[in-house]
Amino acid sequence: MTEAEKSIWIKMAEIDRRIIYWALFLLLAVPFIHPLMLPVSISETTKSLYDFIEGLGPDDIVVIGIQSGVSAWPECLPGLVAVTKHLVSRGVKIIVWGFYTDVDMTMNAIKARVPQLKWPDEEVGPGDYKYGEDWVYVGLIAGGEPSVAALADDLHAVIKADYFGTPIDQIPLLSKVKGAKDIALVITSDTGDYGWYYVRQWNSRYGTPIAEVGIAMIYSEFIPYYRAGQVVGLLKGCRGGAEYETLIKSPGEGIQRMDALNVSHLLTIFFIIIGNIGYFATRKYRR
Amino acid sequence: MPYPTEPLEILGAWVGALLTIFIYSYILWRENYAFRWAEHTYIASTFAVAIVQAIRLIRTNIVAPLMEGDIRYIVPIILGLMFYTLPFRRYRWISRYTVSFLIGIGFGVTVRGALSADIVKQILSSVTAPTGGTAMDWFNFIWVSLGFVFIVSYFTFTVEHKGWYYFPTKIGRYILMLGLGVYFGNTVQFRMAMLSGRVQYLLRVFKIIPWP
Repeated sequence: MTEAEKSIWIKMAEIDRRIIYWALFLLLAVPFIHPLMLPVSISETTKSLYDFIEGLGPDDIVVIGIQSGVSAWPECLPGLVAVTKHLVSRGVKIIVWGFYTDVDMTMNAIKARVPQLKWPDEEVGPGDYKYGEDWVYVGLIAGGEPSVAALADDLHAVIKADYFGTPIDQIPLLSKVKGAKDIALVITSDTGDYGWYYVRQWNSRYGTPIAEVGIAMIYSEFIPYYRAGQVVGLLKGCRGGAEYETLIKSPGEGIQRMDALNVSHLLTIFFIIIGNIGYFATRKYRR
Repeated sequence: MPYPTEPLEILGAWVGALLTIFIYSYILWRENYAFRWAEHTYIASTFAVAIVQAIRLIRTNIVAPLMEGDIRYIVPIILGLMFYTLPFRRYRWISRYTVSFLIGIGFGVTVRGALSADIVKQILSSVTAPTGGTAMDWFNFIWVSLGFVFIVSYFTFTVEHKGWYYFPTKIGRYILMLGLGVYFGNTVQFRMAMLSGRVQYLLRVFKIIPWP
């Protein structure tokens, strides 16, 4: 078939990818400039995590495990920030660590958005989280599943000092914790397999509740664990973050990004329909 | 947070924006110098961060306890150093002891938790009827339990998929495809979220929307 014979149907089936990308890029920009404020419905899995954290208080200690890198910020950061804000509002003690080398950058990003978390050299005001007593940042921990398992058994055997090099026995919050049994909830943010490590080594062996704040693909894989009661809640990427922001009434980057996501999904569906119409209309030519 | 005011912060924001554009130039013009430069810069900076983190980790978790007299830490140091014989053909066998050690520990630890978490509890959850649930709970239960049986039948290769056994395997295949479709849909959401994050960042750097 020559170029001249190409009908409108063929053009529909063979849209130049550059057109698709430019359309996508421009359409994604529009909702950021003029927010559409489309409604965000709350999923059962998000509500479940919210309810669980509502049941926690100042005597409880929660671990936030960051196993999602900087590249996953658009997906995971809104959820992590919203959950941290909720924990702070409940007065829950927080221990943060991560297994990805860029965990420090993610910690800084969370801290910039949750100003109540104070570093050791910062002044602490009313409602703020004092470092070492209300929250601790351990920093990077090396190793895969064996490390996660060892943390559950004996935290002190794995962590020798916090991010600032302060020995663990000199940190009041960490000296209270022996292992998984002392933790009320593990919130794991993943782009990879670490969420399963926590389920296998913390929940399965010690019964520690687990919640996942991961990318959207992780959500599908964690649904069976949620149904089986092995995970108390799930946030589905950026959407989960937006839902959680709605629940805690603190709109943030998740809600801002939802409009763009909705528009991009509509565009994707539009191009799928166009491409399929073109494909079926031109099938006889192709034969 | 206001827009960066320090010269270095402004420079950082603009470098980020330019690198984003360079990386996305691949979409429009395939492999090009700008894309390659940005890609190499990304790899180099990631490697640099990893090295700094590794040094900090070794200092805190290995060197510090060793200096305090805990000689047990010599064992992991020796095992770790043995791993570096890997590039040398003549001494490569030494690294195999470290590898076997890692595989042994990794396998043992994983199996310990996996039997309960990934197999027993998952099967129980799939075949246990809800107690006093809603109609949707019952629908989910029937869908999941039947889907579970059909998909397992699809992966049974000791019996040929024909005769009466053809239909459950066929249904199992369709359910599997449905699941993969959902998974792919979530993948699209993930990729779109990444792109929207970059678009948002560019708009912020160009002062079209406020800095977070």
